[in-house]
Amino acid sequence: MEPFVTHRGRVALLDWSDVNTDLIIPARYLKRIERTGYGPLLFADKRYEAGKAPEADAPEVHGTPLPDFPLNRPEAEGASILVVGPNFGCGSSREHAVWAVAQAGFRAVVAKGKDAGFADIFEGNAYNNGLLPLELSTSDWDALADAIRASAQTEVTIDLQNLTLTVHGSSGDRVTKIDVPEGQRQRLLQGLDFIAETLQHDAEISRHEQGRPAWLTPTLA
Amino acid sequence: MPETLFDKVWNRHIVAADDAATLLYIDRHLIHEVTSPQAFDGLRLAGRKVRRPELSFATVDHNVPTENQLDIREPMSRRQVEALRANCREFGVTLYDVKSGRQGIVHVIGPELGLTLPGTTICCGDSHTSTHGAFGALAFGIGTSEVEHILASQTLWQGRRPPTFGIEVTGSLAPGLEPKDIILAIIRAIGTGGATGHVIEYYGPAIRALSMEGRMTICNMSIEAGARAGMIAPDDVTIDYYTRIDRPFAPKGKDLDAAIADWRMLKTDDPASFDRHVTIDASSLVPQVTWGTNPAMTIDVTGVIPDPGQVPFSSREDAERALEYMGLKPGTPVSEIPVDVVFIGSCTNGRIEDLRSAAVVFKGRKVAQGVRALIVPGSEQVRDQAQAEGLDRVFIEAGAEWREAGCSMCLAMNPDKLTPQQRSASTSNRNFEGRQGPGGRTHLVSPAMAAAAAVMGKFTDVRTLLAERV
Repeated sequence: MEPFVTHRGRVALLDWSDVNTDLIIPARYLKRIERTGYGPLLFADKRYEAGKAPEADAPEVHGTPLPDFPLNRPEAEGASILVVGPNFGCGSSREHAVWAVAQAGFRAVVAKGKDAGFADIFEGNAYNNGLLPLELSTSDWDALADAIRASAQTEVTIDLQNLTLTVHGSSGDRVTKIDVPEGQRQRLLQGLDFIAETLQHDAEISRHEQGRPAWLTPTLA
Repeated sequence: MPETLFDKVWNRHIVAADDAATLLYIDRHLIHEVTSPQAFDGLRLAGRKVRRPELSFATVDHNVPTENQLDIREPMSRRQVEALRANCREFGVTLYDVKSGRQGIVHVIGPELGLTLPGTTICCGDSHTSTHGAFGALAFGIGTSEVEHILASQTLWQGRRPPTFGIEVTGSLAPGLEPKDIILAIIRAIGTGGATGHVIEYYGPAIRALSMEGRMTICNMSIEAGARAGMIAPDDVTIDYYTRIDRPFAPKGKDLDAAIADWRMLKTDDPASFDRHVTIDASSLVPQVTWGTNPAMTIDVTGVIPDPGQVPFSSREDAERALEYMGLKPGTPVSEIPVDVVFIGSCTNGRIEDLRSAAVVFKGRKVAQGVRALIVPGSEQVRDQAQAEGLDRVFIEAGAEWREAGCSMCLAMNPDKLTPQQRSASTSNRNFEGRQGPGGRTHLVSPAMAAAAAVMGKFTDVRTLLAERV
């Protein structure tokens, strides 16, 4: 996994609440058995004219992007930080939603509301893929959204070492403290493979297994 | 210190813990074809094995055609199903394939086979894993990276211990009301993000009065309120589930006695210890219908489509987008909204009691002209049982389609889907945009309400149809 230490980039704003993972990537694309190729499928049914979204086996082939969809606007081109409304990623557990966001070029998603910005499974999946899911308080998020609306060229720096988010606005920098659970922060900073880390607990796992009642292991009588 | 049901199950699965995270042992891992291929690929790339293949069970459900399960015409779907077959062979995981007699929606077959047990931890790469919480298991959906993690280690990291949310359901359901109406009313009351980060425990007299199937319907949709899991403490009804019918993988004889003694201890010591609490009165409910594009956008069947400025938990802009997508105008009575398609099935409402409840409404009536009704049993066993009871005849005589088992039109990964602007009455769990096919308009209802919509051609208070029978 690619480590995340600091990242500076332009932002794209999708100011909708309760964006579910079916919207982020419709179920028909989950027929792919690969882990890549999801970038062009991000918001496929919102992003392209009706009936012209890509086929699951040919993500790169699609119709004209709809100019009104926020991520299709010229100012969103090249953005690497996605700013979204509360409860982002609710619904299905599909990790494909995180793959689509990450493979479309985003390194972080900044959602509205402490403990309310992300659905739980999406948030966990994001960490497991090195995509930083960041929740801001409503007032900090509103200030960020206002800066983006004032200037589409607004850049943001996220510093995971010092736990700050800096909005480089037209009237100077605005620094906000951010919260990231310490275990997840360390994993992101080091780009750790979490399975390798867990397997170091092999002795404890074996001990737990020895303490389980035998009837917990399913057998056909 | 009083403990909740959740605390008890969580505590007995801790393998390792530090300030920030807990490593939990996972007793059961359920697998389907959609969220697993990349996990098995990951194992192969790293040269890892499945640590405890006897604790993982796989089936095919999402892509399976329900007209003829054996005839997967779509190459991408076929490739995905074949990948699961090959992965299960290579890694030694039991697969219940189509025509095995045990295939079905993963959350329907887990309990049927006795894999789901009280007090266990159960994970699956599927958000509706919360279903199994009906038995007092801690069951939750995971992403594909976590599927790989469990395959490799039989464990999963969790962050800090989640807070608990006690949802007390008082009173009792009136005739014509179903467990689906309870859970829709709960989500309507607390919002789609209302339980984010929390583990819900449902309790109270209206929950106690439910069968295991009804409890599964409730726990199934916990995720639609954002909960990490939903649980119900085991009781006599739960224990009956294992003693009355043979559940192939459940403990037997003395082992079952020991298990039951253990399960009897799994309850919340003091409801006052929930971090949050809400009470819902089941007696005052009328049948629920969703009108919008998330499951909190729910109203009474006797109500009207709301003004977008007065939708709880949604901004005016979000509500206007939902109304436009659904093709609805504020003030329209629900009972005047026509339907094109009726879908009865899914991990929410695809069990035998759901089919019985629909059959009561269909019996002696016909599906309205221009309406297509699909009845999709949740598993091969549910299908067999329904046929043994003659329910299939009731559906077919009414003009409905009696299908084979699978997820079907709940998420339209198989050929069963809505066309753009088609409107459905669906017993599934999500009314998201495009969920049942791009442009499709989904209204979530109970099985009885879905059957009523099928025979009347529009949303209808099923209580009026049931009253005709008295």
